[in-house]
Amino acid sequence: MPRVMADDDPFAAVVGSHHAEIRRYLLRITARVSDADDLSQETFLRAFRAHRSLPAGANVRAWLFAIATNLCRNHFRAQTRRRRAYAAAALDRSETDPGWPEGEAVAGETRARIEGVVAGLPIKQRLAFIMRKLHDLDYTTIGGSLDCSEESARAHVFQALRKIRRGLDGLILAKTESQP
Amino acid sequence: MSSPHPACREIESDLLAVASGEAAPAAAERVEGHVVGCGPCREELRHYRAIEGFVGELRRAPLPGDDAVLARAELESRLADLRRRLVSFGVFSSPLGPILIARSELGVSLVRYLAGRGPVASEVRRHLGKEAIEDRAATDALYAELVDYIEGRRTRLDWPLDLRGARSDFQRRVLDATAQLPYGAVASYAGIARRIGAPTAARPVAQALRWNPLPIVIPCHRVIGSSGALVGYAGRKVALKQRLLAIEGVRAVPARGDFRVPREAMYALHVGESEYCLPICGSLASRPLSELVLFGSRERAEAAGFAPCTSCRPDLHPLSA
Repeated sequence: MPRVMADDDPFAAVVGSHHAEIRRYLLRITARVSDADDLSQETFLRAFRAHRSLPAGANVRAWLFAIATNLCRNHFRAQTRRRRAYAAAALDRSETDPGWPEGEAVAGETRARIEGVVAGLPIKQRLAFIMRKLHDLDYTTIGGSLDCSEESARAHVFQALRKIRRGLDGLILAKTESQP
Repeated sequence: MSSPHPACREIESDLLAVASGEAAPAAAERVEGHVVGCGPCREELRHYRAIEGFVGELRRAPLPGDDAVLARAELESRLADLRRRLVSFGVFSSPLGPILIARSELGVSLVRYLAGRGPVASEVRRHLGKEAIEDRAATDALYAELVDYIEGRRTRLDWPLDLRGARSDFQRRVLDATAQLPYGAVASYAGIARRIGAPTAARPVAQALRWNPLPIVIPCHRVIGSSGALVGYAGRKVALKQRLLAIEGVRAVPARGDFRVPREAMYALHVGESEYCLPICGSLASRPLSELVLFGSRERAEAAGFAPCTSCRPDLHPLSA
């Protein structure tokens, strides 16, 4: 009888496949567990309201990143919160930097330095860099998330790389020259 | 580094692309050709490759706070709550004019005749609240069945209903009782009042049906005045009520600005009996309409599970059409 109601919710699978990653992305961007929790929840509540109008075969992961990215940008638009998040990012990173094994001291320091530079990047560069380098998204998806062209998305990532490069002068030299 | 050679400046973004492993073959060749003869750029390439390596480690490194279990549980509970409140709707053109159909997770929650002009959105918000999503796919199957019903190809709409929006327990009881009326039958407002154990509440019953959230599905068009007059339907749409009844084989004749169901031309069932009769059987003609259910045809009475009366024998002496 409830034939016309038969409707297994495909959204459960969406949550299952992507929630952890989207939260990780938001955690990387905001560096705050509570913000990552709130924003990831909001991402999926929005997605739930809209997922029925998503065309069949759409790239759900890219779509979720776009929602999350938008929420992030709104989140950081308030100046005071942005400052607080940047400060928190620097703080969290120095405090939570895991104790790397002895031989890895330089590498650990380098990673921490990279994270520090990334945390200080302008928001679009930071989002683009994290999407590209830490979540392996392509430039089409990143452009879609940031409302810009593929080319601009790539430019944001490259700009981030240049700043990291400048931020690592000295450190990286030691590492690379010890390599074959 | 302070003033790089123009060729080095030109190759720089290709170099970044090469280090990132995303350069086109031509660009990769250019870079390769350039760094062979340019020490500083060779060094830059090495740096950028090293950065890629560190970033790769960063990606694999454990992320402080990366435990989504609690957040996931919280999300699931918010989603469950949203699912309960969420309503999908579609707006369709039907033989009876534009119609809105809405459903929740539990069942169909609203059927509404639209005026046909003006923004649907505000009407939807007013009736469905803010968690309403236009989703024709979710309501298409319902619409198809509704059209079959309106065009006489289907006599039942066995839809799960969501009556959480009922205005009161009283209204819910009225709607339940009305939903029991078989296809092709009519009863009076007072009759519904009797059935729900509130025999003097004919007017409140009429009010409750005026706000029926599910017209057609809960067949309030089968409920009429004690005189047989149709009285009202969904505001002032009495003609629509007459039309819905006609689809089911109940003829209502025009009478002083309204329509009237002629009792004398209908088969009658005394509520509680299992046999239907001719309208003149025994004392039926003097009974108030509230004690009766009227059928437009023998087929309808029998389809509803009633047998012809063994004394007046409607099967042998059918009413002339």
